[in-house]
Amino acid sequence: MGMGKAIVITSGKGGVGKTTTTANIGTGLAIMGYKVVVVDTDIGLRNLDVVMGLENRIVYDIVDVVEGNCRLKQGLIKDKRFDGLYLLPAAQTKDKTAVNPEQMIELVAKLKEEFDFIIIDSPAGIEQGFKNSIAGADEAYIVTTPEISAVRDADRVIGLLEAHGINNPKLIVNRIRYDMVKRGDMMNVEDIVDILAIDLLGIIPDDEAIVISTNKGEPVVAEEKPLSAKAYRNICNRILGKEVELLNLDNNEGKLSKLLKILFSK
Amino acid sequence: MKEGLVNFKGINGGIYICVKGGEYSTILQELERKLMESLDFFKGAKIIGIKGDSISREEKNELLNIMKYKYELNVIEDSQETFLDKPKVFEGIVEGMTKFIHNTIRSGQVIEYDGNIVIIGDVNPGALIRAKGNIVILGSLKGVAHAGIDGNTNALVAAYDLRPMQLRIGNVIGRRPDENMDIIGLPEVARVYDNEVVIEPYLPRK
Repeated sequence: MGMGKAIVITSGKGGVGKTTTTANIGTGLAIMGYKVVVVDTDIGLRNLDVVMGLENRIVYDIVDVVEGNCRLKQGLIKDKRFDGLYLLPAAQTKDKTAVNPEQMIELVAKLKEEFDFIIIDSPAGIEQGFKNSIAGADEAYIVTTPEISAVRDADRVIGLLEAHGINNPKLIVNRIRYDMVKRGDMMNVEDIVDILAIDLLGIIPDDEAIVISTNKGEPVVAEEKPLSAKAYRNICNRILGKEVELLNLDNNEGKLSKLLKILFSK
Repeated sequence: MKEGLVNFKGINGGIYICVKGGEYSTILQELERKLMESLDFFKGAKIIGIKGDSISREEKNELLNIMKYKYELNVIEDSQETFLDKPKVFEGIVEGMTKFIHNTIRSGQVIEYDGNIVIIGDVNPGALIRAKGNIVILGSLKGVAHAGIDGNTNALVAAYDLRPMQLRIGNVIGRRPDENMDIIGLPEVARVYDNEVVIEPYLPRK
């Protein structure tokens, strides 16, 4: 028992796509046949339920579970569209201090007995909510966008994770626009990896389909066509240990694929 | 007043002798000359020790004995040895205590050490390195480095890729120019000349 893997999705900066990434990785892994729970630790500013389209099903939340107002099973919301996918929502009427790291460790340990993957959505910032979100995690995925401010915050968070004993986090670069990168108007992925010096897990292109699917409450990964959906599926496969080349979005792709291979062969 | 090899300095509790470089024999000559100049003054004072790296402990004791018995001065031996042996400014920038760190130093992290610091890795923007001695970075320096924090302007900062946000050596502050700098792609070293931080390649012929 206790075989599941707990992964925290974090970034430092807000608005870079943590929640979207959590929803899509969680859904993607569930579609691939794994038992997954996505956990929202953004108490007071919950979003994951909205992005997952499960807002209207919330009865109990993470604070109720931790305080023992309900059983763990009652707090978990089953996603009817995808077998094996569950959500543990955050509380909206409390704040981050309603839960402490010790309680999170206990909670995640319980979830690990039931699930293959526990995907934890971290709030923005580096305060109590962040500390709660990483407390029970085995691994961390850092989401950043190709902006200096987001990369700077990612760097800070990687340092904090190391200080908490979570080493070798993996990087997801979100909202890349290849046309802008080609023109030299946007940081490219190599630059970001160079600064942060961590392994690259995947690149998500800036894609209208994500905006549409987020508003509908249906994670994009479940769709066939969009490029961003393929990118998320690739990330899920890499999480499962498969070697997947980066999407061919650009002529310069060979270089990136090589970079990814080098990083993963380490 | 120009400082010579041997200087007398007054602190709480007495006078100590500060020796700067030179051979033992010349130091002895200088000391005796200075003592003779105002022997009456020194007879009323308490001599509490000798400070300086250029002469050995035995030689220091010998000088103290000469003052005590030949000139009959009031020498209080070893009274403030611990105080005197502790340098006011870190003196190990040529050879001294060094901390080695094999890691990327990230935003928000502070590395501080009472000696030299060698970083095997990058120092990212938002990180702070503070050393009493030199700072050497075997990677790129994009954060803030402060060498010689106790006021030693002889300390240096060197990096394979030196483009710090801000660089301080002793009490001198240098900052990155607001316009984009040309990256020359060579290892560089920063030192203080004429109260300004100057950055130059340390292998100019490459």
